[in-house]
Amino acid sequence: MDLPRRMPDFPLPDTEWAPGRGFFEAAARSELAIPRCAACQRLVWYPKPACPDCGGRALPWAPVSGRGALFSWATVRRPLWKPFAEKVPYTTGLVALEEDPRVRLVSLLADCAPEELHADMAVHAVFRPLAFADSDRALVVPFFAPTR
Amino acid sequence: MPQPLPDWGSATPLDDVSRQVAITGVGEADHSRASGRSASEIALQAVERAIADAGLAPAEVDGLMTSAGMGAQLAPAEFHSHFGTNHDLWTGPGGGMTWAATAPHAAARAIAAGEARNVVNVFSVAWASEREQMEGGPGAFHAAEPMKAVFELPFGWFPQPVYFATIARRHMHEYGTTLEQLGAIAVACRRHANLTPGALMHDKPLDLEGYLARPMLVDPLRVEDCCLISDGGAAYVMTGPERARDAAKPPAWVLGVGEGRSGAGLYWSQQGDFTATPQVFSAPAAFEMAGIAPAEVDVLTLYDPFTIVALMQIEDMGFCPKGDGGAFVEGSRLHFDGGALPYNTHGGLLSHAYVLGIAHVVEVVRQLRGEAAAQVPGARVGVYGGYTGHLASTLVLARD
Repeated sequence: MDLPRRMPDFPLPDTEWAPGRGFFEAAARSELAIPRCAACQRLVWYPKPACPDCGGRALPWAPVSGRGALFSWATVRRPLWKPFAEKVPYTTGLVALEEDPRVRLVSLLADCAPEELHADMAVHAVFRPLAFADSDRALVVPFFAPTR
Repeated sequence: MPQPLPDWGSATPLDDVSRQVAITGVGEADHSRASGRSASEIALQAVERAIADAGLAPAEVDGLMTSAGMGAQLAPAEFHSHFGTNHDLWTGPGGGMTWAATAPHAAARAIAAGEARNVVNVFSVAWASEREQMEGGPGAFHAAEPMKAVFELPFGWFPQPVYFATIARRHMHEYGTTLEQLGAIAVACRRHANLTPGALMHDKPLDLEGYLARPMLVDPLRVEDCCLISDGGAAYVMTGPERARDAAKPPAWVLGVGEGRSGAGLYWSQQGDFTATPQVFSAPAAFEMAGIAPAEVDVLTLYDPFTIVALMQIEDMGFCPKGDGGAFVEGSRLHFDGGALPYNTHGGLLSHAYVLGIAHVVEVVRQLRGEAAAQVPGARVGVYGGYTGHLASTLVLARD
């Protein structure tokens, strides 16, 4: 498969890259979508050409609830990667989706302090623009916030 | 206890090479911060020292193993140009990381087939120098992975310290692992580096109190939990049983080799068992080939990019039950002088040098010869565990 392009406003992604396009199209509608095998209904993440369970090759993007559990996280306290230096401190981590906890989404945590976080706490997707100081593009993506 | 996913991983089937090959020479290049040296220049220095240690002339080396995965390669032409030779060189995949453990398996096969008699495996990096010039380095390799570029980097889940802080956090949740226990690993490595001439952190002591006083880099990891970035390299010479018995120094026999892989590849975020390493597949296979149990190991070196990676491998190799790694490493239990399991006795990637595991094998050989700086008294069996994320490997060595 073709590789995603490196965008001039990296680290914002190539949203036109075919294997990932459905994710960003859904996010623009404030929806979370994951490829679901049309044959066996398994959610398949990351996107793959075929379902790892049944080999099915039809994997349309399916909306999911956006609810999940905070699987784990890390709080970046000191700049260690130039593109994200402006966001330090920030908390990034993995969310296990309610529909299938094998699907772990990488995301940024929103609306919380790191001290409030604990493993397996309920979180939900909130759709916010992701932007960087030196770029004009603001891309709407799912962040995750604690469900209170 | 989390249930691993069905596609978590598997062991690579490897035929038995026990006692068919031995390491008879070891050498390290100079380890340094950014030095302006090239990776091949560093590699040649390591090869020269390893060949001399083995008591061989360059023309007697007829096999060359270099990095299969990353880093600059030492081409046969560069070997010949440096040593003034022009004979045929068998070549195979070797180098550092997991290949520092599996190269002896491939070398044993080549030696048994008569393709080579004396094989050198070498690995070097100039990442400290390259980082200053903003090229290469350990992060670039991962940034090029397509799913990371689209679904991880935009969310700040990059580079490696972020992956392993997230893994450490989950390990702390599942098993009650503490920051003090991670710190005990860093302190053991530092103490060993303080005793090892040539270790980058030789002159910089660290105790647990000092560790805990340091700021978080990526919570729950501190800088002291993370490997160095340095220029350097190392090499070792392998030969078959007949020649090994007549070698200049006592041979370190290869008793067992293992390799395991994760089904999620380089995507840690999707790994079947998030708080384990493919050592769960590799180490049992290596110990079975060697015909020994983990309790018989006198000295252990592990590819240790982060303290948590060492802790998980100690569990996954069977030195303690899964989840008990924190208690296993506490206090001075990993120290060379009286610890339950002397570990990274040269200082490891955390405090010796970031040469991706090749110096770990050199250290095991020195321990078995009784030549190490932080010598474990009477060490007879030594193990190196290699790791790259999607792969883990295990090398069991022993002296006569």
